[in-house]
Amino acid sequence: MLLFKQQVIHNSKLMLFSSVGFCGVVYIILVFAQLSRDLEPLDIEVFFNSLLIFFIIFGVLYTGHSFPSFRNKENTITYLMLPASVFEKFLFEFINRIVVMLIALPLLFWLTFNLEGYTFELFNGLGLGFNPIGISDFMAVDNPVKEIPEWARLMIVSASFLVFVLPFTGAAMFAKHPLVKTLFSIAIIIAFYVTFIYIVVEPLGLSEYDIDESDLLLFPNNEKGGFQLLTFLAIAANLIMLAVTYLKIKEKEV
Amino acid sequence: MIDIKTLNFNYAKKQQPLFQDLDCELNAGSIVGLLGKNGAGKTTLLKIMIGLLLPSNGQVKVNGHMPRRRQPSFLEDLFFVSEEFQLPGISISNYVKANAGFYPRFDEKLLNKLLVDFELPETTSLQKLSYGQKKKFLISFALSTKCRLLILDEPTNGLDIPSKAIFRKVLAGSLDEEQLVIISTHQVKDVENLIDRIIMLESGSFIMQKDLFEISSKLHFATASSAEGEDVLYSEMVPGGYKVITPQVNGDSSVDIELLFNAVTQGSQKLKDYVNE
Repeated sequence: MLLFKQQVIHNSKLMLFSSVGFCGVVYIILVFAQLSRDLEPLDIEVFFNSLLIFFIIFGVLYTGHSFPSFRNKENTITYLMLPASVFEKFLFEFINRIVVMLIALPLLFWLTFNLEGYTFELFNGLGLGFNPIGISDFMAVDNPVKEIPEWARLMIVSASFLVFVLPFTGAAMFAKHPLVKTLFSIAIIIAFYVTFIYIVVEPLGLSEYDIDESDLLLFPNNEKGGFQLLTFLAIAANLIMLAVTYLKIKEKEV
Repeated sequence: MIDIKTLNFNYAKKQQPLFQDLDCELNAGSIVGLLGKNGAGKTTLLKIMIGLLLPSNGQVKVNGHMPRRRQPSFLEDLFFVSEEFQLPGISISNYVKANAGFYPRFDEKLLNKLLVDFELPETTSLQKLSYGQKKKFLISFALSTKCRLLILDEPTNGLDIPSKAIFRKVLAGSLDEEQLVIISTHQVKDVENLIDRIIMLESGSFIMQKDLFEISSKLHFATASSAEGEDVLYSEMVPGGYKVITPQVNGDSSVDIELLFNAVTQGSQKLKDYVNE
């Protein structure tokens, strides 16, 4: 609780300005979006599509700036000398950067989206017919997620979570420009695996290998099994990245 | 309080070790001056003591804790004022609200008194203060935590002349017998008449670890017109004569730490042999 109290007192202005900044950017972009549609109000489809884009971009930016104390030596010393356990510091940062972001970003977006719709309605006085997005809309909307099988949903959730966990870990590992370095590292790792898989499948001829109908012991040869394997890998990657973050705080030297 | 046994440390495996087999024992109720030239490893040693750096070998125990574990019970009884630091852009009262709770023995009355002693102005943002004022605030906060171990790295850097005198006064007046203060500095004049034990560090080892009382009972510091004489252990020319160190005979001189430091670091073997007798 002391860490939360300290965070609120130290960074209340920054948190306020960041929230206002996020809402401002979203508002301006939504205004342009509506202007480009001849003032036709933005509907729920636009809401979900733009929410997804803003959520990923701003979410990655926010989690990529986790552990702000690690950006310079002086603040790193202050942070490490703060009387709290490594686990408390890790948990606090995880909640502050990932859990809060998962709740706050959609909420702020929802508020801004409705605000933008109302202001257009108010100032234009055209009776454009803006329908505010409410909880009932979330329930009623033809949610494509409902059509996805449950075992595939878990994979999507795990993979999505990894999108935010990776910059979180990167922020603990790299002192300067953590987000850029994290993205660069991920790009190198992906390029390596893509090249590796290509070499194995094409030049080495794995694609020619004829798998019979019986199940393989370790590797699935059907869609469901494939998703399950990917889900397992995504969950494992999340846990490994979080463990790496914890160890980076624990072993940090200045 | 602090127990260091056969401490070895190097920054990289291929580099020469910075410390080799260091041993040191420091007890509560004293103000220790850690002296050494630039680059002697003073700050590194302090960082090892508080767990910011991990020793390559050997044992370091502080208040019965292993510093490398950085447990909350260890950290809440320790305050480190580093040479370079940053303060958040909030008021003094908000800083206290945010941070005092981490230190169980925090004394707000003492803080208010120290802020008055240091003549620190009220401010809406600590970042608006000058470097010296920030340092005075941090020293005041550190003393107010009443931590059993206070580590001050070059605390007088950036302080003006009156503030240095106030620093000596408040430090001497704010401590109790359970506390140990380690002051690392190369400005030995600033901590004169304040410290009661000296540790000198050079080339990876302690070249002197003595109580000031012990030194003053053995050595006499004086100004003389000549540096000649069999009993002169070390001398330095100064305007108007010489500063000399001779064996103590009547026990009435105070220790000139700067002169002692120069004598020891410049390798006065005669003095070293005499002191270690």
